[in-house]
Amino acid sequence: MSKVIDLKGSILSLTILNIYSDDIQQVKLEINEKVEQAPSFFSGIPVVIEPKVSLVDPTFLALLVEFLYQLQMIPIGVRSEDPGIQDQAEYAGLALFPPQEHKARHKTVPEELKEDMPSEIGALVIKHNVRSGQQVYAKGRDLIVLGSINPGAEVVADGHVHVFGKARGKIFAGAAGYADAKIFASHLNPEMVCIAGMYQLSEDIDDKAKEGFVEVALKDNKLVFNSKILG
Amino acid sequence: MSKVVVVTSGKGGVGKTTTSASISTGLALKGYKVAVIDFDVGLRNLDLIMGCERRVVYDFVNVVQGEASLKQALIKDKRVPSLFILAASQTRDKDALTKEGVGKVIEDLKADGFDYIVCDSPAGIEKGAQLALYFADEAIIVTNPEVSSVRDSDRILGILQAKSKRAEEGEDPIVEHLVITRYNPARVEAGEMLSVDDVIDLLSVPFLGVIPESEQVLNASNSGLPVILETESDAAEAYEDVVARFLGEEREQRFLTEEKKGLFKKLFGR
Ligand SMILES: Nc1ncnc2c1ncn2[C@@H]1O[C@H](COP(=O)(O)OP(=O)(O)O)[C@@H](O)[C@H]1O
Ligand SMILES: [Mg+2]
Repeated sequence: MSKVIDLKGSILSLTILNIYSDDIQQVKLEINEKVEQAPSFFSGIPVVIEPKVSLVDPTFLALLVEFLYQLQMIPIGVRSEDPGIQDQAEYAGLALFPPQEHKARHKTVPEELKEDMPSEIGALVIKHNVRSGQQVYAKGRDLIVLGSINPGAEVVADGHVHVFGKARGKIFAGAAGYADAKIFASHLNPEMVCIAGMYQLSEDIDDKAKEGFVEVALKDNKLVFNSKILG
Repeated sequence: MSKVVVVTSGKGGVGKTTTSASISTGLALKGYKVAVIDFDVGLRNLDLIMGCERRVVYDFVNVVQGEASLKQALIKDKRVPSLFILAASQTRDKDALTKEGVGKVIEDLKADGFDYIVCDSPAGIEKGAQLALYFADEAIIVTNPEVSSVRDSDRILGILQAKSKRAEEGEDPIVEHLVITRYNPARVEAGEMLSVDDVIDLLSVPFLGVIPESEQVLNASNSGLPVILETESDAAEAYEDVVARFLGEEREQRFLTEEKKGLFKKLFGR
C-alpha cells in the first residue's frame, strides 16, 4: 500500500503533517493509528498541514482541522501554493506558510512579487470611511480608499495605497516587503506611515508633508515625502 | 411603519440616557406612540430620569426571559400619554439579554403599533452595546466635543455598519444622525474643546444639533423629569430642535456660539 501520510519535525520545531491522499476518511484513519501509538506525544502539539495533492473536496481542510482538534492537536497553518487549498485554509482560520523554496526571493524584488500575486486583478477599492478599530488589507494588490482613514483605523496593502479622503490613521504599503510601494494622499496627517517595514510616526513627519497632495516613498531605507510630484 | 432607533456612543457618561429620555418624550409629544427601552442591564438609569422608578415591577429582562408579558412590564408615562418605558433590571447580569429574546420583544412592540422604539444603549462597544444597536433602523450617535468621545463614536459607527442586522442581511444601512451634547461654546472658543466642524469632519455623519452644557440637565434628572419638559431651558429648546430635525424639519442651528450677554442680563443674571 502506498504512503498515505507521514509526520516529521521541521526547523521551526513545528510538526508538518504531509497529506498524500484527498480521501478524508482514509487520512483520518491513518492519523488515528499514528496517534494511538503515542497519544501523549501528540497532545497539544502545533501542526502545519502540507497537502501534497490537490484537495477537491472543499470541506477537506475544515474536516481535518476538526479531527485534529479532537485528537488534542493544534492545527495552526497550511503550507501550499495551490490557490484552492489557500482559500480553504483561510476559511478554516489557518495561517498560510510560504512554500519553503520561495522564502529567499520573496523580498523586495517587484517582478518576483508579481508571481505571488493572487488571481484578483486591480486594486481593492474601499468606498467608505475606514473607522477607528477597523482594518483593511489589500492582499497582493493596491488599495484605493475613497473615504477617509480615521484615527485608530489601519489600512494595509502589499502594493501602493491611495487615499482620496483624509489619511489620519495608520497606513502600511508594501506590507509583504515590496520596497517600491508608495502612499499617495491629498490630506496626509497620519498616526503612522510604513513602507516595506520602514515606518515613521506622526510627530516625526514634517508639517509641510501634511499640506496638500503628497507621495510617500522608500529611498535608501528612509521614508521620503514628496509634495512636488505633480511638477 | 415602526422604526427602531438606537441611541449610542461608545463612551459612557456622554448623555445617551439623557438624550433617550428627551427624544422619546419629544417624539411622543408630537403624537407618536413611543416605547423607550433601557438596555443598560445592571445599572438602570432611564427610569430614574423619567421619574418612574417606583413603578417598576417587571423589567426588560423579565420580558426577554418570558417571566412577564410586555403589557405587564411597559410603564405608561404619567405626563405624556403615548409614551411607554421598559426599564432595565438592576439585579440581573448582562448576559440575561439574548439576541432572540430582544428580537421577539421588538417584534411584539411593532405589532402593538408603536411608531418609535428607542433603545438606550449601555456604554462600550462590546456585547451589550452591540445588542442595543442590532435591530436598529436609525441611530442617534451621541458625542461630546472631545477627542476620546469622538474616537469611541467612530468605533461604534464602524460596528453599526458591520454588525447590525441590516448589515448582516445586506439591507439598506442604518440611517445615522449625530447629536453633540454637553457643548460649551466658551470652551470651544478657548480651544479647550473640539468645535462642531471638527467633530462632523471626523465622523461625517448628518448633524442634528448640539445640546449645550447646562445645569438644568442635572436638576431635571434629579427630579425625574426629562429635560425637554423643563420650561425656559436652553437644553430643552435644543432637544426640541433635535426632535424636529430628526423628523425631517429644517431648523436653523442654535446654541453654537456663546450668547453675548447685555449689561442688563449680566446684572440680573439671566
Ligand atoms: N447637556 C448636558 N449638560 C450638563 N450635563 C449633562 C448634559 N447631558 C448629560 N449630562 C450629565 O452627564 C451625566 C451622564 O449623562 P447620561 O445621560 O447618564 O450619560 P450616558 O447614558 O451616556 O452614560 C449625567 O450626570 C447627566 O446629568
Ligand atoms: Mg446611560
